[in-house]
Amino acid sequence: MSSNATTTHSDHGHSAHHITPISKLFTTFMFLMALMAATIAWYYFAATLPNSPLMSYVNNIIAMTIAVIKAVTVIQIFMGVKYSSNLIKTYAILGFVWASLMTIMFIDYSSRRWEPVKGWTPEAPLAMPRDHEPAELGMPPRNEIKIESKGH
Amino acid sequence: MINPLESNLSRKEARREKHRQVQDEVYEQYEDLHQQQESYVLGMWTFLVTEVLFFGVLFVAYMIYRWQYQPYFFAIHEALNIPLGGLNTVVLLSSSFSMALAVHYAQIRNKNKQLAALGFTLMCAFGFLIIKSFEYAEKFQHNHFPGPLFHLGKEGVPEHVGELFYSLYFAMTGLHGLHVIIGIICISTLMWLVYTDHPILTDYIPTELIGLYWHFVDLVWIFLFPLFYLMPR
Repeated sequence: MSSNATTTHSDHGHSAHHITPISKLFTTFMFLMALMAATIAWYYFAATLPNSPLMSYVNNIIAMTIAVIKAVTVIQIFMGVKYSSNLIKTYAILGFVWASLMTIMFIDYSSRRWEPVKGWTPEAPLAMPRDHEPAELGMPPRNEIKIESKGH
Repeated sequence: MINPLESNLSRKEARREKHRQVQDEVYEQYEDLHQQQESYVLGMWTFLVTEVLFFGVLFVAYMIYRWQYQPYFFAIHEALNIPLGGLNTVVLLSSSFSMALAVHYAQIRNKNKQLAALGFTLMCAFGFLIIKSFEYAEKFQHNHFPGPLFHLGKEGVPEHVGELFYSLYFAMTGLHGLHVIIGIICISTLMWLVYTDHPILTDYIPTELIGLYWHFVDLVWIFLFPLFYLMPR
């Protein structure tokens, strides 16, 4: 497969590999720094709204979306996948196939209890409990836990 | 082509001459230079895929336990030092940028600038470890390292949940720190090879491969930082 792919490239000789210009690298670096500043700024902003959904799941979605954008930028530009052959692209994607399996894994965990241990607990807790359920047997429901916050 | 061993060149000059001769050498199992270089990069990606899986299972374990103990994990994470974590992100992103520059200079064969870029990357790697050691020292001082001496001392948070959080924290940041140390060894070896014009360096590929590894280390931190330091309530 690769021999077919390379015969088309062989005409280019030494110039076959892509050289990313410094300006492009610098813009990418600045973009990454801006995203990092944004994710920290959002965290501190959301912390001023303690009971708002902005501090709970919205914060999570924003932080993880920014992380994914940063990761894709690093992979595409710094690691040069954008300028690589389809074979390399396939391998880069291959590394993240497990992320799709994770969804299936989470469905499994969230729908069942941990396996009970004989002679230890009569009933095992839920692996991924909902808000109104206790994190562990004997603990209060998750949404009723109030712990004093540092309040930054 | 002169044979440096037979001429009366000094050892150092002979090595430089040998280095010039082997540049862009295509080994016999490859059709051309492009195929040779691509197969090296592909091999590195194969390794990186296994690394993603290696860290991936730890991320999944973290996510499941964070879901289960979310209110407690939030209370515990407030003890982490966000400014130091943020500073470490800046340091790693800068080192990734300089690593990309090093690959650029290796491709256009600018040896001095390549060494400078690699040197800056190396400095950032040490800087990251030094900052991280301050964070670790603080945790050890407060007995936050999992083990018989563990003591969380946070009202309303069960001790075993605290221990679980810090087990994940030390396992994941520790494994990442180990990768930074391996990166330091690789980068300094590469710098020595570049500095001495070692004949083993026939093209920019060794720099590219170590660069790929270093960007991967950066990638892991890109996810570790928001997951541990910027937790939602």
